[in-house]
Amino acid sequence: MVHALSEIHRVLKPGGILLDLRALEDSWPVEIVSSAGWQVSGRLEALPGMMEDDEAANQAMREVESGGWFIQTRVEEFPYFYYWDAPSEMKEFTEADWEGLEKFSEEVFRKTASLWASANADARVRMRVRMHIASWQKA
Amino acid sequence: MSLQRDPENLEGKTLHRFMDFKDKRILEVGCGEGRLTWKYAGVSSLTLGLDPDHPALRIARADCPPDLRERVHLTGASARHIPLANETFDIAVLAWSL
Repeated sequence: MVHALSEIHRVLKPGGILLDLRALEDSWPVEIVSSAGWQVSGRLEALPGMMEDDEAANQAMREVESGGWFIQTRVEEFPYFYYWDAPSEMKEFTEADWEGLEKFSEEVFRKTASLWASANADARVRMRVRMHIASWQKA
Repeated sequence: MSLQRDPENLEGKTLHRFMDFKDKRILEVGCGEGRLTWKYAGVSSLTLGLDPDHPALRIARADCPPDLRERVHLTGASARHIPLANETFDIAVLAWSL
């Protein structure tokens, strides 16, 4: 990871900017959203491998900063939403595409399905991902 | 399946609020299928997307909007060995890839 950052440093012009945009592994909230508003039905379970990847990325950026390659100029977080029409579709997606990343437990699925069934007819289910964006100037 | 990703375009809005891409030379490391690339490439002077995932690049090439085809270039390469000269880009984007 640090080697990749050194390559990026090499191809950037003096004073160039590195933008680091990524999802922060977390227990992402599952929400039921409709025209009446939204409510949290539970949280996904972040699995250990992804938490370790996050820490490795943060560690790499700390290394290049302490090595004097880049200086952080700005950092923010923002939400990124995934929407499904029904909890069963979300469950199907997480099991097929996110195996080993985030787990949609049976307990949270049941609660989500129950809240969704009793919500407005236009209710959908969504997941709120915590996003990180930071700019680093080439030193 | 009815999955929708970021229909509010919060990612694109945040990106443009965060950084001025206008007339810049941009390198995107880990561009994948180009989902993020199309959100800023239109104002850049040149955008180069790198990714070692060739199937994803094939999708990106197929999906590249016609008005971006002259300024967007996509190459199969890893960030560990970027096949480019020194001091070439104004901005490097690491999109969901660090």
